[in-house]
Amino acid sequence: MSTVSPEVVRRLEDEGSGAYVETFDETQERMVINMGPVHPSTHGVLRLLLELDGETVMECQPKIGYLHTGIEKECEDQSWRGAVVCVTRMDYLASFFEEQAYCMAVEQLLDLEVPARGQYIRTMISELNRISSHLVGFGTQGLDMGAMSAMFYGFREREVILDFFEMVSGLRMNYGYFVPGGVWEDLPDGWEDAVDSITHLMGYRIDEYEELLSENPVFLERTRGIGVITAGEINELACSGPIARASGIDWDIRRDMPYEAYGDVEFNVPVRTEGDVYARYKVRIDEMRETVKIVEQLRAKMPDGDFKNMDPKITHPPRTELNRSMEAVIHHFKLSTQGFSVPPGEVYCAVESPRGELGCYAVSDGGTSPYRVHVRDPSFANLQTLAPMARGGLVADLIASIASIDPIMGGVDR
Amino acid sequence: MGGVSDVVGANFVTAQLDKLVNWARRSSLMPMTFGLACCAIEMMASTMPRHDLARFGMEAFRASPRQSDLMIVAGRVSQKMAPILRNVYDQMTEPKWVISMGACASSSGVFNNYALVQGVDQIVPVDVYVPGCPPRPEMLIDGIMMLHQKIMRGDYTAGRVTEPVFAGGQVTQ
Amino acid sequence: MPDDVTVTSAEWLDRARSLKQDGWWFSDLCGVDLLHSGARVATGEEDERFLVVAQFLNHKTKQRLMVHVPATGEPPTVASIVSVFPGAAFFERETYDLVGVVFEGHENLSRIMLPDEWEGHPLRKDYGVGKVEVQFVEQPLMQIQAPGQSPRGEEARQEVDRLGQSVVTEDGEGRPMSAADRRPRT
Repeated sequence: MSTVSPEVVRRLEDEGSGAYVETFDETQERMVINMGPVHPSTHGVLRLLLELDGETVMECQPKIGYLHTGIEKECEDQSWRGAVVCVTRMDYLASFFEEQAYCMAVEQLLDLEVPARGQYIRTMISELNRISSHLVGFGTQGLDMGAMSAMFYGFREREVILDFFEMVSGLRMNYGYFVPGGVWEDLPDGWEDAVDSITHLMGYRIDEYEELLSENPVFLERTRGIGVITAGEINELACSGPIARASGIDWDIRRDMPYEAYGDVEFNVPVRTEGDVYARYKVRIDEMRETVKIVEQLRAKMPDGDFKNMDPKITHPPRTELNRSMEAVIHHFKLSTQGFSVPPGEVYCAVESPRGELGCYAVSDGGTSPYRVHVRDPSFANLQTLAPMARGGLVADLIASIASIDPIMGGVDR
Repeated sequence: MGGVSDVVGANFVTAQLDKLVNWARRSSLMPMTFGLACCAIEMMASTMPRHDLARFGMEAFRASPRQSDLMIVAGRVSQKMAPILRNVYDQMTEPKWVISMGACASSSGVFNNYALVQGVDQIVPVDVYVPGCPPRPEMLIDGIMMLHQKIMRGDYTAGRVTEPVFAGGQVTQ
Repeated sequence: MPDDVTVTSAEWLDRARSLKQDGWWFSDLCGVDLLHSGARVATGEEDERFLVVAQFLNHKTKQRLMVHVPATGEPPTVASIVSVFPGAAFFERETYDLVGVVFEGHENLSRIMLPDEWEGHPLRKDYGVGKVEVQFVEQPLMQIQAPGQSPRGEEARQEVDRLGQSVVTEDGEGRPMSAADRRPRT
């Protein structure tokens, strides 16, 4: 815990939470600097209280909540289907994972089976989402180190992947495409070519990124041996994902506890042991390569059949049925007005998001809307590792550490 | 041409001073990096190669409110963030404009609950509303172009709210 | 499906210690308000309103474990496990902030999501969603017009403060916005 005295904190709070408020503690000759929440390098609205001795960070205390949206409460006000639209807005760079975790939780409560094609579509799209998310992580990592072109390169390919998402779901972000029971619509015509072009493109573009940064002496200087965190600290602080794997923790939910279609694909889990900013950067890059492999396998193996569970109690009947069947009209009416109800119970489902373990804890009381939805967001837990990373380093290294955690404040604050 | 130009020759251009000022203001808008949520990613995307906001001389985002004259409120504004947003707005130098980007900033979008400010126009005066959740980069660019038109018309009085416009529609001249 | 365990608040800290020794990794902690729950999720006790639910994961055996800890008393209190799992610090603060469960022994139990002066705990069932009714007033606002052509024109701007903000009071009169108006509603 921080040693920033409560009085200094209170004074900072009283003087307003502007961009840079400073105080100087004369007795200890330490300066307390307020960094954020409006700061270009804090990835959104993260606010840090830094206690500095000269240029060295003695303590770092993250202050969050500036993007608190009340999504968990909002979900209780929605139908089970409608809550997908809310959870997808939490971690807005990896929306599909949030939808996936939530839908898997609801399916477990319903004891509902997802057809193979639905599972494959979900897995493939999530994996593409992992690339697009890591590309932003790569870009912002470069930008914060002063390598602005990394940002341009990252966003260039991200647009290509977003084009595919738009083709599938109609939206560039915040999709609401996964539904309990499968996916909302089947893949459109021509999706094979679109996926092929992405995997082909990424195949050599990732090398291009590596050429840009991996051996850049300035980048190496600023990332090697910076923000080191040990495997012990990682385990204590409930940290997961690429950060944990960069510190030598060989754990990936996709491989170790396979869900959806991950049991049918082969891939490696990149692990490094250095635990510094550079290792985390490399793990993300290597993960993108593995992800391309997964997408290629899923595309080749994509089964035919239903893309969502056609149980009329859960899924809207096809449009053509409505003209013919009275039963279909009744189901349609019930689903449209109140939605489906879910048997009482509670469940915790976790997926491996680009930032680590993303869990969804859902409770049902048998009604048509969730009784409680809690999302364990990986950024929220991972942010706790910032203090041990920053301690003893320079302020400039702190920026590198924040970028390497890659926190998404929408997910942290929910 | 006419008037003074005839006297001083072809090497000079004459114009009304306020038009010249408006033109200068329009052409050198400095947006503030005020990214909050999902829309911030689209705001970043609009400055990136595909959409290239630099075509309109808008790519230079400034991190300090003192150096910027356009605040793009990109994302949902929580009750905790609201005083800070106002603080930042107050720190910006006049003349200044505000674009409310996305459904959340304009009306808090799909979230109608305790945590969010229901529309950023409760805190700061808004010049252009850009709809969408999140708006596509093209939509943001349209909103910025609309603001350009608005500035060109000299539709600014210090300390006064001007009538907001909505991106994505036709503005009658 | 994960395994379910229920422990009392008194046993919780010891249980957490033994879980850590057995190699369990702390993954999640949240609070549930069972006020309106017909389900009474896992524990059957009628007077227990708040429940703290923690998730653990074992990397070696690849198992998950869900632990329920009923929070009793007023305010509902549970022992803190930060001394065993430091990673629980943020999760316990969040649960305190949103559900109002007090964690005994937590060094810095303060609000994390909401402003410090906030009253109430939003994820309790007797706390409303906080919806603001949307009123669709009949006026030709949605027609897109050039600035200055709106019929709302001048009178709306009559009473404005330095920054051009005005407030319409209940009797329909306008007055300049004061500092109190600008503060976020809580």
